[in-house]
Amino acid sequence: MSNLPEPKSPLHDLAMPDTFAVGDEKAVGLTLEDRLPASLVQVQAWPDTVSNVEKAIIETAGTDATIMPSGPGRWLIETDEERLEEVLRGAIATDMGAVADLTHGRVVVTLSGEKAIWVLASGFALDFSLKAFPVGDTRLSHHHELSATILRTGENTFDLYVFTSYARGFWHWITNAAREVGYEVI
Amino acid sequence: MSGFRLSNLGERRPIRFTFNGKTYHGQEGDTLASALLANGVSVVARSFKYHRPRGIFSAGSEEPSALVTLQKGARTEPNIRATEIELYDGLEARSQNCWPSVNFDVMAVNQLPGKAFTAGFYYKTFMGPKLSGHAATKFWESCEYFIRRAAGLGKAALEPDPDRYGQMNAYCDVLVVGSGAAGLAAARRAADAGADVILCEERPVLGGSLNSAPDYLDSEPAPNYAANVVAELSAMENVRLLARTTVQSYFDDNTFLAVERVNDHKKVPAAHEVRQRAWTIRAKSVVVATGALERPIVFAGNDRPGVMLADAARRYAVEYGAAPGKSVVVFTNNDTGWLAARDMARAGVIITAIVDVRRDVPEAMRKAGEETHASLYMGAAVSKTSGGNSLKSVQIVDFNETTGEVGGTRASEPCDCLAVSGGWSPAFHLTSQQGGKPHWDAELQAFLPGEPTQKWHGCGAMAGKFGLRAAFRSGEEAAVKALVDAGFGEGEGNIPDIDGDAIDYAPAPVFEINCGGKAFVDLQHDVTADDVRLAHREGFVSVEHLKRYTTLGMATDQGKTSNITGLAIMADTHGQSIPDTGTTRFRPPYTPVTLGTLAGSRYGHLSSERRTPMHDWHVEHGARMYANGPWMRPESYNRPGETVTQAYIREARAVRKSVGIVDVSTLGKIDVQGPDAGEFLNRLYTNGFAKLPVGKARYGLMLREDGVLFDDGTTWRLDENRYLMTTTTAGAGHVMEHLEYLRDVVWPDLRVALTSVSDQWAGAAVAGPKARAVLEACISDCDVSHEGLPFMGVRDGVVDGIPVKIARLSFSGELAYEVYCGAHYGLQLWEALMAAGKPFHITPYGLEALGTLRIEKGHVAGPELDGRTTPYDLGLGGMVLSKKNFVGAALLKRETFHKDGRLQMVAVKSLDGARVVGGSHLVAGGRDEPGRSQGHTTSTCYSPELECYISLALLENGSKRHGEKLYAANPVRNAHTHVEVVSPHMVDPDGGRMHV
Repeated sequence: MSNLPEPKSPLHDLAMPDTFAVGDEKAVGLTLEDRLPASLVQVQAWPDTVSNVEKAIIETAGTDATIMPSGPGRWLIETDEERLEEVLRGAIATDMGAVADLTHGRVVVTLSGEKAIWVLASGFALDFSLKAFPVGDTRLSHHHELSATILRTGENTFDLYVFTSYARGFWHWITNAAREVGYEVI
Repeated sequence: MSGFRLSNLGERRPIRFTFNGKTYHGQEGDTLASALLANGVSVVARSFKYHRPRGIFSAGSEEPSALVTLQKGARTEPNIRATEIELYDGLEARSQNCWPSVNFDVMAVNQLPGKAFTAGFYYKTFMGPKLSGHAATKFWESCEYFIRRAAGLGKAALEPDPDRYGQMNAYCDVLVVGSGAAGLAAARRAADAGADVILCEERPVLGGSLNSAPDYLDSEPAPNYAANVVAELSAMENVRLLARTTVQSYFDDNTFLAVERVNDHKKVPAAHEVRQRAWTIRAKSVVVATGALERPIVFAGNDRPGVMLADAARRYAVEYGAAPGKSVVVFTNNDTGWLAARDMARAGVIITAIVDVRRDVPEAMRKAGEETHASLYMGAAVSKTSGGNSLKSVQIVDFNETTGEVGGTRASEPCDCLAVSGGWSPAFHLTSQQGGKPHWDAELQAFLPGEPTQKWHGCGAMAGKFGLRAAFRSGEEAAVKALVDAGFGEGEGNIPDIDGDAIDYAPAPVFEINCGGKAFVDLQHDVTADDVRLAHREGFVSVEHLKRYTTLGMATDQGKTSNITGLAIMADTHGQSIPDTGTTRFRPPYTPVTLGTLAGSRYGHLSSERRTPMHDWHVEHGARMYANGPWMRPESYNRPGETVTQAYIREARAVRKSVGIVDVSTLGKIDVQGPDAGEFLNRLYTNGFAKLPVGKARYGLMLREDGVLFDDGTTWRLDENRYLMTTTTAGAGHVMEHLEYLRDVVWPDLRVALTSVSDQWAGAAVAGPKARAVLEACISDCDVSHEGLPFMGVRDGVVDGIPVKIARLSFSGELAYEVYCGAHYGLQLWEALMAAGKPFHITPYGLEALGTLRIEKGHVAGPELDGRTTPYDLGLGGMVLSKKNFVGAALLKRETFHKDGRLQMVAVKSLDGARVVGGSHLVAGGRDEPGRSQGHTTSTCYSPELECYISLALLENGSKRHGEKLYAANPVRNAHTHVEVVSPHMVDPDGGRMHV
């Protein structure tokens, strides 16, 4: 599979490295970065197989995997392993659950910086306080009809998994929202 | 300077501004209103109906009169209260609703007809029988233009608003609305207990009435004490202070809309800044500390510039250093008027008289009055005012507060300002929005908020707890309740020692001095006391009817200063008590909100559009992009000089003759997996799916529960328990919801996982006689021969190193393949197919050609699946299996779906060469006598294959009427095309081309 051509992000010509500082202080409130996941797979367990499937995911996906609960008995798993779908499908038989590849269905936008929450909260109706949304937790939300899975990776760092077809609209929104505080695309 | 600027605040930075084109100077901290007062400007506006001169009446958001237009050009903003506009260098303001100037307004002639322009004038004058074809009486139609020009407020800009507006979501344990004594006490107590607190204050500086209070708190002047508490709060991480923020609306689940005027105090915000921000605040509990609004007393000429509320006059002097007049008379029915007089005098304002309707007042008030050196008139009232555009004098008469009788004239006091206090009305607008019915407090002569319907707790003057001691105490009590709501402990109290006035806020129950003359209740809508009485005489007994008949309490101020006095006059007229008369309910927002603030960024390109990976390629190759549901799709690839029609005809011909390619990434795609996936699909579709072999696709019809067609598409069996369902582009979301509902609610026993994979897969359909040749040129690991990949077959393969799924499906009726790959390879796949098709002159085609090809074939799409048709109507009855059950099966058997005369799908061909216009009715007769509609056209195009205009149509008993001649009539577009009814399968009816 290493022969695969280079995938192309819908943001390839938008998310170009640049700095948009604001005010006399040339403030930059957050940084934005986009990436395409190497593998992003959704696993759905049946009501009576949740714990078995969860165990199988942990054992199969590897310690570097990011496992995000995305619904009752449902997870979104990202790894750098390109064959994740195949691996999970091998570990989770149909009578345990369903495995669906979403690697091409999402673009990941990372927000980082003091004003990351300010910018996110300007769109998403979520409580971003640490006690309501601890580091490592995931939220599914949407605004402007733009859905996103939001993973908090740090106090002021978030990975947003955005639908591929909406990625450009999302980028326009997030950069528009970030204009007020200044941002850098890296 | 005009001599109205006081020295109590010392020197402050001067600020230059213009009003009605004339340059003035104010000082830092001024509002436009205080700056105008300091410059001796008395007339600021003209009234709504009578064009009477109006000055500044209040000092806050309750202002009914001093509405001005700010800025010019695209930034023009009308109807802004001068009392809330923070002065900045270069501010431009102008009066509105006047010509040629605010001091001399021609339309003031409206005052002359006097009683002709009373309440109900428009109903009585302009309502009546209407002529046929008219929306109103002829008289109204002839007068409307002039009336609308004469009445009204400011004019909005016609240019697009250049400002940016922000939105924000916030969550907190305790929201405190209002930062006066009660609000600060509540916020501090809640914050000290560890709760996340948001404190909102509509003024620029937090502190509310403390900022102009003469009292000492913990031995500090009240403003200093307030500043210290605010500083303490602002240093706490769990507190968010929002100044210049009005909490406008109180919705369910303790959700609030607050509007922050982020940069209204600047002439032009920086490019990155927002002008205003709409906050959506969700709070576990709320402390409402919104204070009270002073109300006026109604008497003749009470709208003359120079007449204002007593506390407003006091604040202008104490807080802004602007004398409301050079010679001020105070008229009151309660103690606060006396203290206003004293505080003004201490600031340097000359008080010439204090008039109180009461015969006696507490000793402390007498002392306050004596401190002003003013003449004191007890048991007296102001009966009228004199002057032109400014106040010259007031007439003082004997008054009996018990009977309301007016006696003889006692004096005429020269003055240029009359400060009036008629008591205080708690500002419970927010809680009223939530439905708590207010109750009347006879002692305070005021309505108090009703019982909470959500988790809110009132305190301070809003809850009838007047005075600093009661405010601090009730603020802390409210905070304790809110803390309990939010799951916190009670925290610790911190009420300061208060050294100040202890007064009785209860007023004498006097609302009007009725001596005739034009006495205004509602200054904004020019509603007089006589209007209220007239409404009563004309039978309007409900307070709601009174409001609508007189317009009392309507418009931008929503009657903040007029509701109670209007009610009191109505009650008196009815011979009822005020509580028996009732009150109206407040509705959001509390003050007017700019539409831009509510809309935020929801306009233009920020509306959500879905784009395929090939979007840019389409645009670069001349495609006109077109919204199909949320997706943007190519309409046609127009060559230079080519029309859309010419383009789609060329594209469709290319498909029929050689090969074309179309982006089908937009089709809805749902991954259906699980041990019961086959059974799930079998119950869903009208036709069978249980026995669909792996590696094959099948076209399926989905019905609603009522038997009507819902959606169609192909479903591919990828392995034993895994299917890929495709849906129409626009219907994908609805289909997904439908499937999830069935899985979760109707058949929860089935083990089926549903995943939208619309974004996962990008796809291209390659169609035409040379389609196989194109694929053969670029595909590996897949045999695409007729035997290797038969019709409706599904295979995996590789194109240019990209893993793909290929299905041999045809929407065009030609040999065709749909090729899908991971979306991030979508563009590469498209370019690889284009390169492979180059020797065959492969032609990209858009939605128009796609539609043309499927119309020629009689394939149904959205216009035929119109929410009324069944499979039988569309000639798809053969796909309905009678031996199995499926969604909609029972109701599909309804008699009405099988009755004679139903609309059935046919096609029509133009016989006279004219276009068949979409949406035409099918009629039997010519233009003169078309006859009744027997059906309608649904999807129309020019057929390059048949070389005539054609259309699919729904026609009564259509399947039996092939060969009939009818007319496609569209009178709106002046079309009446002679057509022949034919089978919808117009091109290659036996499907031979697809099976080569």
